[in-house]
Amino acid sequence: MSDWHVDDDLAARYAGGDLGGTTAASVEAHLLACERCRGSVAAAVPAERLERLWQGIAEVVDAPVPGPFERLLRLLRIEEPTARLLGVTYSLRWPWLAANAVSLLFAVYAAGVNDRWGLLSFLALAPVLPVAGVALAFGRGADPAYEIGLAAPYSVFRLMLMRAAAVLVTSAVLAFAAGFAFLGNWVAVAWLLPALALTTLTLVLSSRFDPVYAGSALALLWLAGISVFAVRDQPLAMFGAAGQVTALAVALVAAALLFLRRDRYQSEES
Amino acid sequence: MNTVVVTNVVKSYGRYRALDGLSFTTGPGVTGLLGPNGAGKTTLIRMLATVLTVDSGTLRLLGRDPSAERLPIRRRLGYLPQEPGFHRSFTVFEFVDYVAILKELTDRRERHDEVRRVIAEVGLAAVSGKRIRALSGGMRRRVGIAQALLGEPELVLLDEPTAGLDPEQRLRFRDLISRIGENRTVLLATHQTEDVAALCGRVVVLDQGRCAFEGTPEELRRVAEGQVWLSPERSGMLSWRTGEGLFRNIGGAPAAARLVEPTIEDGYLLLLGDAAVGVGS
Ligand SMILES: Nc1ncnc2c1ncn2[C@@H]1O[C@H](COP(=O)(O)OP(=O)(O)OP(=O)(O)O)[C@@H](O)[C@H]1O
Ligand SMILES: [Mg+2]
Ligand SMILES: [Zn+2]
Repeated sequence: MSDWHVDDDLAARYAGGDLGGTTAASVEAHLLACERCRGSVAAAVPAERLERLWQGIAEVVDAPVPGPFERLLRLLRIEEPTARLLGVTYSLRWPWLAANAVSLLFAVYAAGVNDRWGLLSFLALAPVLPVAGVALAFGRGADPAYEIGLAAPYSVFRLMLMRAAAVLVTSAVLAFAAGFAFLGNWVAVAWLLPALALTTLTLVLSSRFDPVYAGSALALLWLAGISVFAVRDQPLAMFGAAGQVTALAVALVAAALLFLRRDRYQSEES
Repeated sequence: MNTVVVTNVVKSYGRYRALDGLSFTTGPGVTGLLGPNGAGKTTLIRMLATVLTVDSGTLRLLGRDPSAERLPIRRRLGYLPQEPGFHRSFTVFEFVDYVAILKELTDRRERHDEVRRVIAEVGLAAVSGKRIRALSGGMRRRVGIAQALLGEPELVLLDEPTAGLDPEQRLRFRDLISRIGENRTVLLATHQTEDVAALCGRVVVLDQGRCAFEGTPEELRRVAEGQVWLSPERSGMLSWRTGEGLFRNIGGAPAAARLVEPTIEDGYLLLLGDAAVGVGS
């Protein structure tokens, strides 16, 4: 081993990153072999700089990796915390969206095979999917940290509305795409108002019941209504003008109720 | 100053009265909440956490009424539920970060620093990138404690925080909580009388939805003063065989008995009498 060692001045310059490549390399080669100099270089590293470096590394290691939906939201300029809160929603994640898309494809395929009944199956299904998605987006059953979230300052009501809106938009986009691509006429949008009415009602009932129960009950009622008209041989009756007006009225009343009862979502009466 | 004032609180589930006219007060420092299973501890903690509303009676938390001013209380609250749920596919960091967002820590950098701080406080820094589903039960409990500390809350409510912790972690927890309790109000529901003895400046005992005792751990211990005996024979309801082969009896003096110093547990058992050994309703 040579007699040459890293003196204080050199140590300080090395730690400060001020040495040229060659000198730095020879210092490093020496450090590998000499414990004493490792000590003096370590002492020369400013604590504050080390802290910053460490923070930077910790940030890279820890920082949550956003999923695809969350990244999409960020692209749409939605703020990071909001995007996170939406991104963790089960019914806004890939498995659910894929299942959604597959069901819709089956329905439009059926519509292609058999005009009338196939079309009905698409129209019946399209509103059920967002209802199911909304039911799985918040509440004790769907959100394991619900109790902790309830005691946190972030408004549970606002979170619920945001997630419901996001679910409604994503399922609507999927259903529009499927409807227009494969059916290509007005019926491809006839499900929209019923979907709006049913999801808003799900939210209203969720102030008293678990959203999963509320959503299931409404979906069953909806399918029962469809079946009643179907056996009377008027399969599309619920999607005519009268049906649309009713759906709109229900959606408006439900939205008003939701607004009036917004405080009930913030805690439990038991 | 009293940061928690509970007055005549009643809470029923259907026809069952879980809290039946409960009153007590407490202030800064660590307060232990003892009581047998079903006494109403969790019901009370959930009310103090503003999650559940009272049927009748009043609450004042940090000088405010939770039925009128929920939000300002929530901003100063940390809460560990008895059965906290976790997004199991999240990493420890992601989960605590998620709660931090709900706690309105919006600046990403500051939030992440705070998340790292609380994770380090409970000794989980080494596993902060691990998925929650891959943690042991005790580690998961510590994740729960970590999120309750986010944002240095002034009122910290912990429902059975030490259930499932190993002795070393329990020690660490005591250190952590006693530091927090120096200037803030910590309420912990527990079945561990040793934790109460080691940690709490005050203790409240609940029994069937009412306050059965309110005072210092030393006062609770003294409830059993002169009533704990070691004897070769069993006597009375509250007695058990100790490691040395003698019976520890609480209550009247049995034959050939030697009087011993009571513990907090003795005081607690004596206080609850039949309820403590599961004979009461
Ligand atoms: N959601 C509920 N619905 C009906 N009854 C309930 C509900 N929650 C609690 N209870 C009842 O209220 C009483 C008090 O329950 P609580 O959970 O507050 O007790 P605890 O003191 O926390 O008990 P433990 O030590 O077992 O956690 C019990 O008899 C329980 O059965
Ligand atoms: Mg409990
Ligand atoms: Zn050297």
